[in-house]
Amino acid sequence: MEEVESKPVKRRTKDLNLWEKIYIPEIIKGLALTFRNIFRPKFTMEYPEVKFEPPASYRGRPVLVQEESGVERCVACGLCSRVCPALAIEVQAAETELEKERFPEKFEINMIRCIFCGFCEEVCPEEAIVMSKDYELAFFNREDALYGKDKLLVPASELEDRIKFLRQYK
Amino acid sequence: MPNIIIDAKTLEFKKGQTIIEAAQDNGIEIPHFCWHPKLSVSGNCRICLVEVEQMPKLVIACSTIASEGMVVHTKSEKVIAAQNAVMEFLLINHPLDCPICDEAGECKLQDYAYKYSLGESRFVEEKVQKDKRIKLGPNVMFDGERCISCSRCIRFCDEIAKDPELTFVQRGDHVTIRTYPGQEMDNPYSMNTIDICPVGALTSTDFRFKARVWDMSSNKSVCVGCSRGCNTDIWVRNNEILRQTTRYNEKVNSFWMCDHGRLETFKHVNAESRVHYPQIRKDGELVEVGWDEAFSEAVSHLKTFPKDQIAVVGSPFATCEDNFITAKFAKSVLSTGNLDFIRHTNPEFADDILRNEDVTPNTKGAVLSGLVPSQAGLDINGIIKAIKDQKIKALYLIEDDLVQCFPELESSIAKLELLIVHTSNYNSSTNYADIVFPASTYAEKHGTFLNGFGVLQRIRPAVATAELDRALDGMNMSRLDKFGTKFDSWAAGKKNEARPTWKILVSISKALGYKMKYNMAEEVFSDMASSIIELKGIDYDEISESGVQLKVEDNKTVNAG
Amino acid sequence: MTILEIVAFTLIKIVIILSLMLFTVSYLVYFERRVSAWIQNRLGPNRVGWQGILQPFADVFKLLLKEDIVPEKANKKLHAIAPIIALFVAFSTYAVIPFGPELQIFNYKIPLVVADVNIGILFVLALTSLGVYAITFAGWSSGSKYSLLGGIRSSAQMISYEISMGFSIGGVLLFAESLRPIAIVESQSGWMWNAIVQPIGFITFLVSAFAETNRLPFDLPEAEPELVGGFHTEYSSMKFAAFFLAEYANMIIAAGLIVTLYLGGWQIPYIDKLGLPSLVETLLQVGAFVFKLIAVLFFFLWIRWSLPRFRYDQLMNIGWKVMFPLSLLNIIWVAILIMIFN
Repeated sequence: MEEVESKPVKRRTKDLNLWEKIYIPEIIKGLALTFRNIFRPKFTMEYPEVKFEPPASYRGRPVLVQEESGVERCVACGLCSRVCPALAIEVQAAETELEKERFPEKFEINMIRCIFCGFCEEVCPEEAIVMSKDYELAFFNREDALYGKDKLLVPASELEDRIKFLRQYK
Repeated sequence: MPNIIIDAKTLEFKKGQTIIEAAQDNGIEIPHFCWHPKLSVSGNCRICLVEVEQMPKLVIACSTIASEGMVVHTKSEKVIAAQNAVMEFLLINHPLDCPICDEAGECKLQDYAYKYSLGESRFVEEKVQKDKRIKLGPNVMFDGERCISCSRCIRFCDEIAKDPELTFVQRGDHVTIRTYPGQEMDNPYSMNTIDICPVGALTSTDFRFKARVWDMSSNKSVCVGCSRGCNTDIWVRNNEILRQTTRYNEKVNSFWMCDHGRLETFKHVNAESRVHYPQIRKDGELVEVGWDEAFSEAVSHLKTFPKDQIAVVGSPFATCEDNFITAKFAKSVLSTGNLDFIRHTNPEFADDILRNEDVTPNTKGAVLSGLVPSQAGLDINGIIKAIKDQKIKALYLIEDDLVQCFPELESSIAKLELLIVHTSNYNSSTNYADIVFPASTYAEKHGTFLNGFGVLQRIRPAVATAELDRALDGMNMSRLDKFGTKFDSWAAGKKNEARPTWKILVSISKALGYKMKYNMAEEVFSDMASSIIELKGIDYDEISESGVQLKVEDNKTVNAG
Repeated sequence: MTILEIVAFTLIKIVIILSLMLFTVSYLVYFERRVSAWIQNRLGPNRVGWQGILQPFADVFKLLLKEDIVPEKANKKLHAIAPIIALFVAFSTYAVIPFGPELQIFNYKIPLVVADVNIGILFVLALTSLGVYAITFAGWSSGSKYSLLGGIRSSAQMISYEISMGFSIGGVLLFAESLRPIAIVESQSGWMWNAIVQPIGFITFLVSAFAETNRLPFDLPEAEPELVGGFHTEYSSMKFAAFFLAEYANMIIAAGLIVTLYLGGWQIPYIDKLGLPSLVETLLQVGAFVFKLIAVLFFFLWIRWSLPRFRYDQLMNIGWKVMFPLSLLNIIWVAILIMIFN
């Protein structure tokens, strides 16, 4: 292996040489650096026109997976609600004639409370709640931030990306 | 007393006890599914296997009689291996559906899977399919796949409810539970099987899927269904009672309580008919007013009647504290001796297990608290007659429904010049009331009930009201209660504007110029303890969770269970 | 020229300069935001109008529509006067800075400066000293500890750096033998720019100018992270805008002074040798002045987005122990030069 020459870190005035103490050459070095940056490519993404397309690992707002039959996968077990560190999820179970017995009569995520940690997704035994790529969340009042089943249900076909990611890494 | 050595500790036991009983009496837990202290031993779950020296094989602790000098190991390698094997065996056909199972969180199998199982299963075949969602009776739902065939429910029906209804059918891994042909599980104690079921095979049709157990808080209380006063836990989420379960008290109800007590005694607390805020009748309609206005209205009317025209009717549904203050209010503040309460009995309700003829929780306590007419005063029959004769012009009715009990009184009551009612819910009497005070229910206050056998027991608040804060008044709190804000729908449950009867009466007395210095129910009780001979030396701490047996003379209604 | 004509021309010049100042100041803000964005690999404001060209107007409208909040514990009168002083000082200083040689139109000789005062430099020094009052008043009258700290820092800083600034100018004056800005500019004909002749003085003046205008790396009176804006923490709406404008106007003045005193003012070396028509020559020279001004202003911004803020003790150390002796050294250097070449 190559011997790496370690320079002692200069911390105090006495460690500096005369050239550095004069300060002006150092200022010029700094100015040169910032000047070079003026011509480098810009990182700014001009948001409303250009939109960020997140990768599968992105944790956007949590959504409920809707099967092709139109029924949600969720069995209202309440584990997401239990694990949620911000207490954002409220689930009210009820009985259904379907084989799964239970379904969420009410499933509400308070998007003001949600911190996008993804614990709900991690704990879900049914792969029924996953983090989507939706990051455009803005509200004018508290009521709008309560996402009920109407807003939460998303067809499984739109979430394939994330579900594949979860199966690989979860 | 003979000695047994369990896990190198020498312990005393009573002759005839099994190893599991001896261990439990000394605070050592031996896992068990099928064994129950109040049921016969069936010994079929095998999780209680222990190693006894000099015995060739492991033995089940639930049916091996302890003997002098016996050396038992409950945590030896062999025992742990056996426990793991039993758990693995039980879990072979048990579905992994804890997420949708109501028992999750209070499930013995779940707990033991953590405690006594190594968590590995070698079973790769298909699990046995059995019938699910079978309604065994009006209150009990059965899931065959979850059942581990411990037979507790069968033995309960046979031995405690004395109504054999259930039995095993099929053999081997297909064994399941059914009611006898043409029968349904409808004995009045059927829901106890839900409690004793170690898994989620038996669930309550009433509570099914309503809440996860970890979302609720529970507070220790007493059932108000009859004068047995079964000990209960009241389970609350979002300030709403969702279920009431039994709590062990050997003196009163052991492990059991009846279905009526579980289902019917708390529904009025959340009901739509609750009185919210004091009401005053203006132009023939009850109108919501503030407390102070209601107090001054009551005072201004009460002052106008001579004392022999006023009668006070207390209540066997109210606590001893409420009735003590009611009696004091009648005798000292209103100076009337016309004081009594209505007895509620229902011979059909009684049985020889737990249920009593007296369907109120506190008849004895009412008498003990001084709810008796003075020598010159009228008792309840006298009061009723006087109301009919219109000799009584003003009636103060506490937490009871006079009109419902005596429908023939309806027209006379309508003619009363003043009717003040304390009640938690609107009823037939409030139709004629001039002033209605919203009284806290048994689930919203501290207090004591004296049951039909002379056991004095405490009730504790489980539901918050406007004057009773969950955190400040020491109620148990769930996680949701602790962290919810007024903006969270799951924490903004309705809080009724209601106060305990004694508190309302203290305020009215004050407005009438008679100072009573009570701020807490406990202070009322300590005053009672100093003035009532039977309560001498007793305080809330001593009553604690299991109650205190008083020496009350009239014990004729005692019905040992 | 009659008195009437002089008054008329002066008024016209005042109007032109004042409106140009306001315009430039607001665009300087825009310029700063764009430059800072470029340096940080961003785009900066580019939404209002083409490439964000209308951004300054949007900013002004926003500030106009804001509520004017005066703290309860404030001294109301001083609180209101402070931004007025700041703005007054900033704009009146510009009166003596020449932006071109004499202009010949229709037989009139018009000097391209609002007031050709023979003590112009003294005037500038006097007015900039007055600027301290604005900041001190603002800091004290707000009734807020942050503002007060900002005000105190600012007065100490400005007084300290005025000394080295004064001595640096001393060198220039020795050369020009005049306090008239136009004379100073004319003394730097050819490549005899003061920046080249007396580089030490140029550096000390430059540093002092940064300190006097409260620009980074010497923006301790504002020091957002510690003082939440310093002396103008408690100002809002147009009063805040006044301070904001004054700060950027001060920057332009400082840049104008640097150009006038050290970079040869409007002069383009040896332009007279080309034999251009006088009007073209004058316009080219005005253009040269504007170009130099913009270059210096860019330097101001460039420095801001490159260097971190000094600590207060460091600031004082540099002011008294480095800049002050250096400016004295500069005077001696100039004196020696004059002795040798005269």
